[in-house]
Amino acid sequence: MSLPKLRSLQARIALFFVILLITVQAVLVLLVSVSGERIAKDRIAQDLLVGERVFRRLIEQSNRQLADAARILAADFGFRTAIATRDYGTIVSVLANHGARIDANVVMLADLDRKLLADTLHPEQRATEFPFPDLIALAERDRQASSIVLIDGKPYQVVVVPVLAPVPIAWVAMGFVIDDRVAHDLRAVAALHVTFLSERRNGRWTLHASTLPGPLRAALIESGSAAGSKVGLGFVKLAGEEYETLAPVLGSGPEGNVVALLQRSLRESLEPFERLRSILLVMTLFSIGMTIAGSVLIARSVSRPVNRLATIARSIRDGDYSQKAAVEGQDEIGELAASFNHMLDGISAREEEILRLAYEDTLTALPNRAMFLDRLQQAVLTARRTNDPVSVMMLDLDRFKVINDSLGHAAGDQVLREVAHRLRELLRDSDTVARLGGDEFAVLLPTGTSDGVAIVAQRILRTLEAPIMLEGQPVDIGASIGVASFPEHDDEGDSLLRHADVAMYVAKRANSGYAIYDPRYEEGRQTQLSLLSELRRAVENDELSLFYQPKIDLKTGMIRRAEALVRWIHPTRGFVPPVEFIPFAEQTGYIKRVTRWVVERAVQQAGEWHRDRLDIAISVNVSTRDLMSNELVDLVAALLQKHAVPAEQLCLEITESSFMEDPARALETLGRLHALGVRLSVDDFGTGYSSLAYLKKLPVEEIKIDRSFVMHMVEDEDDAIIVRSTIELGHNMGLEVVAEGVEDHSGMEFLKRLGCDQVQGYYISKPLPTPQFVEWLKARRAVEQKPEAASA
Amino acid sequence: MRALVPVVLLAAVEVDAAAVSAMVTDAAGAPVPEAVIYALPASGKLPATAPRPAVMDQINKEFVPFVIPVQLGSSVTFPNKDNIRHHVYSFSPAKIFDLKLYSGKPSSPVVFDKPGPVALGCNIHDWMVGFVYVVESPWFAKTAKTGSARLDLPDGEYDLKVWHPWLRAELPAQRVKVSGTDAQASFRVDLNPPPKATPH
Repeated sequence: MSLPKLRSLQARIALFFVILLITVQAVLVLLVSVSGERIAKDRIAQDLLVGERVFRRLIEQSNRQLADAARILAADFGFRTAIATRDYGTIVSVLANHGARIDANVVMLADLDRKLLADTLHPEQRATEFPFPDLIALAERDRQASSIVLIDGKPYQVVVVPVLAPVPIAWVAMGFVIDDRVAHDLRAVAALHVTFLSERRNGRWTLHASTLPGPLRAALIESGSAAGSKVGLGFVKLAGEEYETLAPVLGSGPEGNVVALLQRSLRESLEPFERLRSILLVMTLFSIGMTIAGSVLIARSVSRPVNRLATIARSIRDGDYSQKAAVEGQDEIGELAASFNHMLDGISAREEEILRLAYEDTLTALPNRAMFLDRLQQAVLTARRTNDPVSVMMLDLDRFKVINDSLGHAAGDQVLREVAHRLRELLRDSDTVARLGGDEFAVLLPTGTSDGVAIVAQRILRTLEAPIMLEGQPVDIGASIGVASFPEHDDEGDSLLRHADVAMYVAKRANSGYAIYDPRYEEGRQTQLSLLSELRRAVENDELSLFYQPKIDLKTGMIRRAEALVRWIHPTRGFVPPVEFIPFAEQTGYIKRVTRWVVERAVQQAGEWHRDRLDIAISVNVSTRDLMSNELVDLVAALLQKHAVPAEQLCLEITESSFMEDPARALETLGRLHALGVRLSVDDFGTGYSSLAYLKKLPVEEIKIDRSFVMHMVEDEDDAIIVRSTIELGHNMGLEVVAEGVEDHSGMEFLKRLGCDQVQGYYISKPLPTPQFVEWLKARRAVEQKPEAASA
Repeated sequence: MRALVPVVLLAAVEVDAAAVSAMVTDAAGAPVPEAVIYALPASGKLPATAPRPAVMDQINKEFVPFVIPVQLGSSVTFPNKDNIRHHVYSFSPAKIFDLKLYSGKPSSPVVFDKPGPVALGCNIHDWMVGFVYVVESPWFAKTAKTGSARLDLPDGEYDLKVWHPWLRAELPAQRVKVSGTDAQASFRVDLNPPPKATPH
């Protein structure tokens, strides 16, 4: 197993169990070996001792049997009769004959004085001492005696019994030679190797019978082990094999001692342990095999699913949520896989949600700015390749802020949702409609040409013309759209969006509904951006100035009123037309500062002229924003007091649309101004959509007909009708009617006929700086003295 | 034992004599029964006395009595009082004989014509042991349970001898002088009885 593989769970589990098993088995084998050998040795020693006892018992038993047989033989009447004959030949033959009956190899007869009477081995030997007098002595006591003795250098089992008639009359000894057969018989019972050795009086050892195989016998004698083993227990090595040996002395006689060597092979004793060890070894190998196989199987059942989970985890990391973990079984892995799948679902759901939140506008469910930009980039990239045009539309609601401020955010949200809905309904699915923020929407038309886009823009404007129902009331929401196309206007996505934005502002300012981008807008826009800071500086540095345009009273022909118009003489640019900075100032809110400046100057001027008894009222334009706070009222009140100007000498002109955005608030401000005694005039009357109901509530003294009607009223019947109706309407409501934009005598005559109260315009005078205006006025006043001039 | 009594009485009636009381004890001082006491005239001259017949019964598979002393030349009958047969034999040098299986009284008595101990056995009952002790002298007796025996001897000098089947060694004779008065003799014997074989 290589090292990296070892890191795998599978390999580690398998390795652990294999090592554990090998350790346990090794300890077991060691124990079996060590204790086996010790047990075997102990066992051998014990076996030998037991074997020796058995051996001795066997010898005794054999002795007794032989003695019994001998005694029976000695009790044979014929035997005794033959003995009684005292005839040597007869005696020898009866001894041989009867000895043969019990397989005795030698029979001896001794008289009561232990003198040898006959010996079947040595028939010629007579009247010598019986060689084993000790045995006779024993037999006198026990009626029998036995021993293992050497006769002619050979070991014999000898029994001595008396010949009874019925008192002992002689001793008969019967000898049975000890050979291998005897040894084997003994081994069969004692379970030991039996070897009979003799030690002669001269110290020479002879092996007589043994159960050992031939070579070992020789080894036994050669090694001299026999001599060494005489002392008792001990291990004897024979032909490389160890034998535990015990050597009891069996008997001694005149020729020497007979020793039995009882041996047991250590190998034989160890054999059961060797077998056990073999079985253990086989079992160990088998167990190791099984353990490896089992561990691998179990580990695999763990690691495979884990690996699969890891693979899936990697694909999750790479954003692929399509793969699910296979849930196999009810075990922990199965649970893990199930949990994994839950986690996967959770992650995928959350990611979807995050993506949705990241790329979707939550209010309208339209794509958000980020997504829109992304799609725009994609569309531009595609378009670059295919050379197809792509168009971007920016859309801004005209009156959203008013609705939001006056009806609340909920209403605003409803408006946005409705607009989103209408846009989505109108446009194709391939078009992207996004809400960029606030009331700003954007549309991406991947295949639109700029001409086609104009049609789309008109359709959008039309669909937004329908009023939205808010709290049961129809509310109009106009929109302005800016359009920029690729590659016509730019070849970068974000630039296109910016261009569309510029175009939209142009459209808004021009009130033209939609505008297609023109590079020139960008210049104006650039100008505007720098204008803000410059305007700020201009206000602070008094670069602004007021021009005055006189209004003529058509009934008296006298000049009693003038409109103050702000003029900006830029140090480097020169004259900056109001249309270039007033709408801009209105957008940024800086208009309030401008208004303040204008009102301050106008009231101051009014004060001066009042002191000079010039008797001329000054009109000042105020913006929508000015009506939304109390600042204007407080400012006006303070200035009138400061410069001691009668309130009726000041007239504030408000546009019709200005109070439409927040009528209640505007009405409140107008009421307070009216209370001050300041004259109020509705400017640009007829261009807005204000209802007469509103107009009726307004505390105004005059209305001012927009110059767009006045300029063409002489030629255009419709405009003439509007002007006439407006004048009639104003008079009917008790209001003075002022017409502006009067550029010729016929216009003035026409208005005079219609009963218009006051007129202003280039025909009377263009706006003049203060000195020139005063000069013009004085000159005019001089003429006014003449009645004909007044009637002119 | 009863057979002995008439013998003694006869001796007392026949001659003027005196009684010799002999006491036999063993090494431990215990009285020894069944010991044969006999007297040999110191002169060596034995009277010509006709030997008397004797009887050795076999009762209940035992020789009864255990020991009978007889005078040389006596004939002894071996009546079988058991209802089984016996085969009485002797391989003793003093008298070798055997009476083949018989019951009741054997056809002829056995004449003991050599002095010395004769061990009797039964060939089919190994434990049966009896002794006939053949003495040359007519003067002999056997100790009773008390270990004593009495010899009525005519006046004179005698060598008293003792014999017992288990006697380890022969004891020297004791000389006694008999002259009308009773004499005393005592023997201390060393016995070596063989292991008792059990009947079966």
